[in-house]
Amino acid sequence: MNKPLLSPRLLPLVALLVCPAFLSAQSKSPDLSGYWELRFDSRNVPPASLIAPAAPAERAAQVQHDADAIRWCHFFGVPYMMAWSPVEIVQNTNGKEIAITSPVRTPARHIYTDGRPHVSPDTFDPTSTGNSIGHWEGDTLVVDTIGFSDEGILAIPGGGSRSATSHLMERFRLLNGGQRLSVVFTWEDPKMYATPHTYEFRYYKAPPGTESREFDCNASDAERAKFLTSVPGK
Amino acid sequence: MNQQFRNTFVKRSAGAALLALALGASGSVLLAQSAPAPAKVPDFSGFWERRDDVGGGNFGGILEKIVPKASLTPEVVKANQETAARQAQGEVVAFGSKWCLSNLYPFFMQHSAAWDLFQTQTEIMQAAEVHTFPRHIYLDGRKHPSPALLVPTVNGHSIGHWEGDTLVVDTVGFVGGGGTPGGGRVGKNTHVTERFKLIDGGKKMSVVSTWEDPSIYLKPHTYELEYYKSDPGTYAYEETCHADDPKQSGSVVAPGQKY
Repeated sequence: MNKPLLSPRLLPLVALLVCPAFLSAQSKSPDLSGYWELRFDSRNVPPASLIAPAAPAERAAQVQHDADAIRWCHFFGVPYMMAWSPVEIVQNTNGKEIAITSPVRTPARHIYTDGRPHVSPDTFDPTSTGNSIGHWEGDTLVVDTIGFSDEGILAIPGGGSRSATSHLMERFRLLNGGQRLSVVFTWEDPKMYATPHTYEFRYYKAPPGTESREFDCNASDAERAKFLTSVPGK
Repeated sequence: MNQQFRNTFVKRSAGAALLALALGASGSVLLAQSAPAPAKVPDFSGFWERRDDVGGGNFGGILEKIVPKASLTPEVVKANQETAARQAQGEVVAFGSKWCLSNLYPFFMQHSAAWDLFQTQTEIMQAAEVHTFPRHIYLDGRKHPSPALLVPTVNGHSIGHWEGDTLVVDTVGFVGGGGTPGGGRVGKNTHVTERFKLIDGGKKMSVVSTWEDPSIYLKPHTYELEYYKSDPGTYAYEETCHADDPKQSGSVVAPGQKY
């Protein structure tokens, strides 16, 4: 006798699968993959509420630190890389990890979405992009980053700077049917901010066929070094 | 829907699909979500690392044992001999290392540090620990830019496609100046074809590389490197490099030397 197309054992399963509530719960996370551009109207950055304004000497040292990072081609890191255009998001189809790349000299960001916790500070060597873990809250990707080093460009939009005690929360969400990407950044640092410092970038989806760039950096270039360190116009 | 369950479901119960159709709108949604991906390809994502399977003693030693010597033009042979002579005289830090220049492809593929592979349906991206740019391999059917529009880069311009369970990657547009295992070099007109394939049930990956450039190679230079899947929980590190650090720049490289 031929076997029936549908085994009776599968009937409860099929009934469950056609239930809208089940379908909703199983719906896939949004796909953020692709190139995203910043335009002139992409930034909403209020001034940060600093615990104490930096003294002139401290401020000058901070500016010099970031200038040296450019002069000597250090890794620029977060948040500087997020302010360049285009950034690319590569979201693994298996759901376990997301990368963000930038055309500037910086490593890719690795955002682990496989449920792991942060690496223990006892083990993790701080980096310019920190240690990032992410999870989905509905259609929003929430990314939690700690473990920053003093490598690279430290200035944070709106005021303040990245440090070993910085904690960054980001919320990524598609808008306008996937044509825009909102990223809300919130920095906390008990040594830097009186209140959490929040700002938002809204990226535009780049056209199909957009490709990565490599803004390479050559610290041995004497002409470049002279330009970056001399008095402008002289 | 869980992928393993979805596959089982699709394979074992065509009848269920028929039933879902009969159920109307909800069934239509079910079909849309249950349909297999257009192209079923292996999942290469994750961290991959080289290990010493051949008793090479170090990563350079491994390459010596498993990679054949490239068949090179007389000009490149002479250049390699000159480099070896400088090294014999104490030049242990090359110009690129001294100045922390971006590591040129395929350096990170032969390095000891793991690299992380990201995979979507339209792109593969490799992120290395060593200081270089991410490598983007486009799978969306695009072509290489025309020579007039091709901007040379550290990792070149890569396009890929699937041949069954093998990812075939074609790369041109290198900035030039790098080297390959086996004594080869990478120039501005060099072309490499790579075939990525999972082996040992996905615990390892084989990458067969074939380099071609009539100004460098007398015949195509082919070798195979194998990578182990890194342990679960592996995380990325950043290999920083500071050209302003005297320890980094205190080499014996003669000024003006080109890498």
